[in-house]
Amino acid sequence: MKAFRYLRPASVEEAVKTSTPETAMLKAGGMDLLDLMKERVLTPDDVVQVPAVPERVRRVMTGPDGMLLVGALVTLAELAEAMAGPLPEVAHAASLAASPQIRHRATVGGNLCQHTRCGYFRLLSMPCWKRGDKECPVLQEGGVQENAGIFSNGSCACAHPASLPPVFAALDSLVMIQGAKLERTIPIADLYAPPKRGKLTDTTLAAGEVLTRVLIPPQGDAQLGYSEIRQKEAFDWPLVSAAARVVLRGGKIAAANIWLGSVAPTPHRAVAAEKALMGKPFDDATIQMAAAAVADGATPLPGNSYKAELATVAVKRALLRAAGRTK
Amino acid sequence: MVPRKVTIQAGATGGPTKDITVEVHDLDATPWGADAKLTHVGRDLPRFDGPVKATGAARYTYDIFRPNMAYCRLVRSPHAHAVVTSVDVSAARRVPGVLDVLELMRTGGRITFAGKGVVAVCAETEEALDDGLHAIEIAYEVLPTAVTTEDAARAGAPRVDPKRANKVTTKRGVQKRGDAAKALAGAHKKVSGIFRTAVQTHSALEPHGCVVEPNGDGTFTVWASTQGTGSVRGGIAKALGLKPNEVRVISEHVGGGFGAKFGIDEWDRAAALFARKLDRPVKSMISRRAEHLVAGNRPDSIQDLSLGCDEKGNLTALAGTVLGTPGNGAGGANAANSRVYRIPNLDMTQSSVSTFTGRQRAFRAPGHPQGVFALEGAVDMLAHEMGADPLAFRLQNDPHPLRQAQWRLGAERIGWDAKRKVAPGAGAGPVQRGVGCGASVWRSSGRGKWVVNLEITREGSVTVSNAVQDIGTGTRTILAILVAEELGIAPGRVTVRIGDTASPAGPPSGGSTTAPSIGPAARGAGRRAKERLLELLVGEWEVASDAIRIENGVFTASGGKRATFDEACALIGPEGITVSGQRRRNYAGFHNETAGCQFAEVAVDTETGIIKVERVVAVHDAGRIIDPLTARSQVVGGVIQGISYALYEERQMDRNLGDMVNPTLDTYRILGIRDCPRIDALLTTMSSGFNNAGMMGLGEPTTVPTAAAVANAVFHATGVRMLTLPMTPRTVLAALRGAR
Repeated sequence: MKAFRYLRPASVEEAVKTSTPETAMLKAGGMDLLDLMKERVLTPDDVVQVPAVPERVRRVMTGPDGMLLVGALVTLAELAEAMAGPLPEVAHAASLAASPQIRHRATVGGNLCQHTRCGYFRLLSMPCWKRGDKECPVLQEGGVQENAGIFSNGSCACAHPASLPPVFAALDSLVMIQGAKLERTIPIADLYAPPKRGKLTDTTLAAGEVLTRVLIPPQGDAQLGYSEIRQKEAFDWPLVSAAARVVLRGGKIAAANIWLGSVAPTPHRAVAAEKALMGKPFDDATIQMAAAAVADGATPLPGNSYKAELATVAVKRALLRAAGRTK
Repeated sequence: MVPRKVTIQAGATGGPTKDITVEVHDLDATPWGADAKLTHVGRDLPRFDGPVKATGAARYTYDIFRPNMAYCRLVRSPHAHAVVTSVDVSAARRVPGVLDVLELMRTGGRITFAGKGVVAVCAETEEALDDGLHAIEIAYEVLPTAVTTEDAARAGAPRVDPKRANKVTTKRGVQKRGDAAKALAGAHKKVSGIFRTAVQTHSALEPHGCVVEPNGDGTFTVWASTQGTGSVRGGIAKALGLKPNEVRVISEHVGGGFGAKFGIDEWDRAAALFARKLDRPVKSMISRRAEHLVAGNRPDSIQDLSLGCDEKGNLTALAGTVLGTPGNGAGGANAANSRVYRIPNLDMTQSSVSTFTGRQRAFRAPGHPQGVFALEGAVDMLAHEMGADPLAFRLQNDPHPLRQAQWRLGAERIGWDAKRKVAPGAGAGPVQRGVGCGASVWRSSGRGKWVVNLEITREGSVTVSNAVQDIGTGTRTILAILVAEELGIAPGRVTVRIGDTASPAGPPSGGSTTAPSIGPAARGAGRRAKERLLELLVGEWEVASDAIRIENGVFTASGGKRATFDEACALIGPEGITVSGQRRRNYAGFHNETAGCQFAEVAVDTETGIIKVERVVAVHDAGRIIDPLTARSQVVGGVIQGISYALYEERQMDRNLGDMVNPTLDTYRILGIRDCPRIDALLTTMSSGFNNAGMMGLGEPTTVPTAAAVANAVFHATGVRMLTLPMTPRTVLAALRGAR
């Protein structure tokens, strides 16, 4: 690990200021950042701790309009507890992540800004397009493709591994970002940008911008389901995750959001599957049809066609959960 | 010194047994037969080192911090095949805190695996060390590589050793008996399959490494994470040009070895050289990534097998070829796929294929988990072809008298008959359940003539000592039990000092030989000490030695003479009693091979390809079991490692770069606590006869049949045969897709 200064600003405004230089990086729980610093994939001069003040950064609150306001420093364990009543599927997603120890340190903001788990990206001695090399070695014949993305993988085959972004996106959540001048609020989908050669992060956050909160709008009678497919019951990353939100009007599906994790460089929206749901009754036949549409536009590599199958299954299971058909 | 002839009953308690007449060495204790009545031996006793391990107080080599200690690590080649064209250490030498730099390779040197050390750096702190490592500049001419068995076996593949082809078939690799081709041609039923297993890395929690400290008088003390304190002593002494008695090696606790921790490696040698030059302690523990790349692995295998039987279901022939990679070496990649069953005709050709990867090392039952996976897969396939129950088919072909009993015991415990009535795919929904089984085989009755020292003071303190290391198998505890059994005292009264070459040399822990190699010496020492105590009582009581009885730690003789162990010890002079016990050459025994079998129950999610092992019943024998609790713990550990091998473990190599993309413990998956099934460990109570305690080894056979049992259970659950390990969603979905 390269030597660095550890700065602990007393306010978000100060954090904005101290993290503005390109050589500074923000730290929440530090779960992902410290690993990458040890390997020297990331080599900040200054590590800026996201401050736990004001309280809104650290807590889950309910706004006057019924919005759920989740602070960026809320841990995954705290999120699971806070959501058990209002949004059990969010609690379900949070409680599946990593291991109990990690869930007590890892934060919501950190999860949203999680770097890819691609082994090539995370090992400095490996070439990596995302880190600035000419080609993505995963895409070559002979590359290890098992863990790669199956959508939008033309120049970089990495997969966005975090479990919360698909859930929050399915709920039409917003994120609040404090900048030098103003605080902006954007749809969570806009937090993510397609990968760029040499750009190490996956977000649209500019230097000096601090993600402070996630805003989850009131869900009314929307039905939500989250499903995650992974090999191990604990301390493992999803092979594929899926979140689905369905609104019924008069027995027919009037709105549908389906988002997937671990299948593309950014959280992936399954537009074709959403379309397949619209106007239909929320029954098994519809669910099967929607799931079958998930792989539309997928470009699996020779070594990971199984992930297209898993994406289909994950969406089917998320929808079954949303329909209250499985536990 | 006339050896005495004794006849003992060897075999299992309650049968089968056989009477064996052996010539017992004059100084040895008479072997215990299967019918021996013992007090402490055979009773559950929690391991002595349990509390310190559970609380974190146990000091592993990683926990050794010496005053003024410096740190050493290596810069490793990221290339699998390359020539070093330049090495520049000048910038590293200028890094504050860097003490010294040692070039391990010269310019022009050829690298044949990623992870090879090129430069060693020594620094004041780990932070300065890290900066120093990154300041080393090495240029390479990168050459074409081949890191998988198939790539390296291809014509025109780059050669690991320029002087020979990558594929090597040794004499040992060719096994022939009878006429397998003819027998297969005339077989009533025949099955064939190409079984594949992945390279597995040892992944011990504590990485390899040591701390080397100069004692100021030209001698050195070394703390090492090792399976052989003696081999480390020899290695460090050679590296420093010293005699073995000028090096003391201490290995109080070892955080896992599994066969990869014998002798010293280049990082240990570098630490020794730095320690001498800088005249201060140096710690050298390797990284997790290096652990995966260079510190050993189990070779992969591609086993193309054909197995046939006659119309009665008797196996007649096994033929096939096996390829496996030993890494950048030449041998040791064979798969043990022709043991266990009675097969009259055999024709097997096994070849190792050198690849540009880190070298294989012995790994818990070398050759066996992969070999038995393939053999038992083929046996299962043939049973299916014959329409026979896979267990009945095995019973018919299994010549081992003990395993015959074990199969029945295990089948009953897991509920085989009822569970096998469920047809493949009969479950409602995507999850299908099934049961399967597999056999274990190993050969280990111990070896060597190791010596254990035993000291008793007049205050009644009892200390047993030997340099042997406890790699987690319970060695400490069983030595105490064996001494206590002879002395008639509680095992907790015995102090065990092991893992220190200041004591008599101990056996290396390989081949499941530690317990049967050192245990008999401990019993022998206890016996000798008891004789010395009896001599004192004979003098005190004026009775003949054979008139004194010992029961529950109390010495008695007629006329109301009575002495507790402490009272007897009070007769000892200030010089104390010091005796040695020596193990003797092996006697004849019940059976050269330990048996064993396992049954697994699995749940297969046929939509995701994810397999959960829900239960394993493991039946094993290892001669006389000294401490059933630590023995069952061995079984559980072996099963856990076996499930991990079956479902998760896989070294993923980029075939172009020649480097591993999952060299961490979250990307190289290992079975975790939430995925661990209920495991029933059943031990066959027996005495082997081979040595005075009737012991055999248990560490390795416990992991041999697990993957086979799991794969066969998957077949029962789904009707789809898994020919490839690990059984991950990728491989399972591919197999299910192939079957649809």
